[in-house]
Amino acid sequence: MENLIANFNYVIVVILMMIGLWSMLAQKNLIKKCIGMAIFQTGIILFFISIGAKDNALIPILTEAANHTYPDPDIAKIANPLTQILMLTAIVVGVATLGVGLALAQKIYQQHSSFDEDEILENQRK
Amino acid sequence: MEKGFRIVPELPIWQFDVLLLILVVLFAVVALSIQNLMGAAVVFGAYSFMMCLIWAGMGAVDVAFTEAAVGAGVSTVFVVSTLYNTGATMHRRAGGLGFKLFIGVVVTVAGVFLLSALPDFPEWGDTDSPVNATVAPYYILNTITDSHVPNVVTSVLADYRGFDTLLETTVVFIACIAIYSIMRVDKAKFETDEPTIVAAPRYDPGDSLIVRQTSRFMVPFMQLFALYVIAHGHYSPGGGFQGGVILGASLILLAISFDLKFLLRQWSEKTLMLLVAAGVFLYAAVGLACMFMGGDYLDYGFLDPILPGEKDMARSHGILLVEIGVGITVMFSMIAIHINLASNGRFDRGL
Repeated sequence: MENLIANFNYVIVVILMMIGLWSMLAQKNLIKKCIGMAIFQTGIILFFISIGAKDNALIPILTEAANHTYPDPDIAKIANPLTQILMLTAIVVGVATLGVGLALAQKIYQQHSSFDEDEILENQRK
Repeated sequence: MEKGFRIVPELPIWQFDVLLLILVVLFAVVALSIQNLMGAAVVFGAYSFMMCLIWAGMGAVDVAFTEAAVGAGVSTVFVVSTLYNTGATMHRRAGGLGFKLFIGVVVTVAGVFLLSALPDFPEWGDTDSPVNATVAPYYILNTITDSHVPNVVTSVLADYRGFDTLLETTVVFIACIAIYSIMRVDKAKFETDEPTIVAAPRYDPGDSLIVRQTSRFMVPFMQLFALYVIAHGHYSPGGGFQGGVILGASLILLAISFDLKFLLRQWSEKTLMLLVAAGVFLYAAVGLACMFMGGDYLDYGFLDPILPGEKDMARSHGILLVEIGVGITVMFSMIAIHINLASNGRFDRGL
């Protein structure tokens, strides 16, 4: 239980990822699937930021005024920049892929006048 | 000594964090269970804002900034413009509950498996974990001597891991091309082949004077701020991705408050696509220039004969050039994606 509180972030990560996965698998609506995909993605980003965080750390911008001065920065007091940059680019790529997903959904709607998976399948069988 | 930011170390902030984390899960559930799709899009935007706060609380200011501009801003607009061209309400259909429960059980089992790995994780905030103790300290210790960039995130983004960012920018470019090839329809063909499949959206060019005048007033300030974000990314949170998205958002605001024609009069389709490619080209060309000067690909230090300053300042300026390239690509691909989604690929009128 103590471990659970210390790692509360990771628990939330797993919950968010599973909510996203459930939505992608179980929801019939294509837009809801896209939103589920984005939620899954933010879960993973939260995971990366959580493993890079440090207790009582400052933002990874070196200044002369804060506890760390830049000739000799105190590494334990600066949040990990590496995980942050990986996720920064992932967010922008994520919105681009969300756009691709939405474009496909819109194209399907033009053909079948529905976002609903079952209706689309029925339409195709006709 | 008392200049710059100073965060009080003893501030009890974890309760706030826990509250936000619970709120995030609630928002995710609401966004997925709400019946109205437009409502789902808006709740998803709120979810992104909550995420920004969490990330900012963990010291990831650049990531929070990006998410505020991208997740809460532009991606909500994308969903809304998709819904605008289709039907906003979701039809509730009976049945399928068993299937949903089955998937729920499967997903819960997967989640329990993932949670069972939890005790093996380094504790939250551990400074000696493999992630924090191996390669990351190098960047923090050397960024000032290598390139005079106090914002470590910017120097890692564009300098130490320049290849990574180059290819991420290329992915944005490719996604833009993909959406273009999915959505874009030839106008003449559209009129003959499939005239009335899409329900004609309500369209009133002169709907709101207040919206138009306010956005006319706001857009220059947004663009000025975005340019500041790109240019000042070395010293503060920001950089090409964030600035590019804000620049794109300012033009998307114009397109929404006036109409698409207004935007397309200034930026024709051809110009947009050329500029999307030009950003990636600028990035790659800076890398090639480094090779011509005798260095490795994207090793900006070798640009010092043509850029002002010594080797370290040349790296700083190289980062700026690259960030400008990223900004151009991101800005125009956001606009191109929005136009494609909002006008159903017809590039004439839309949201």
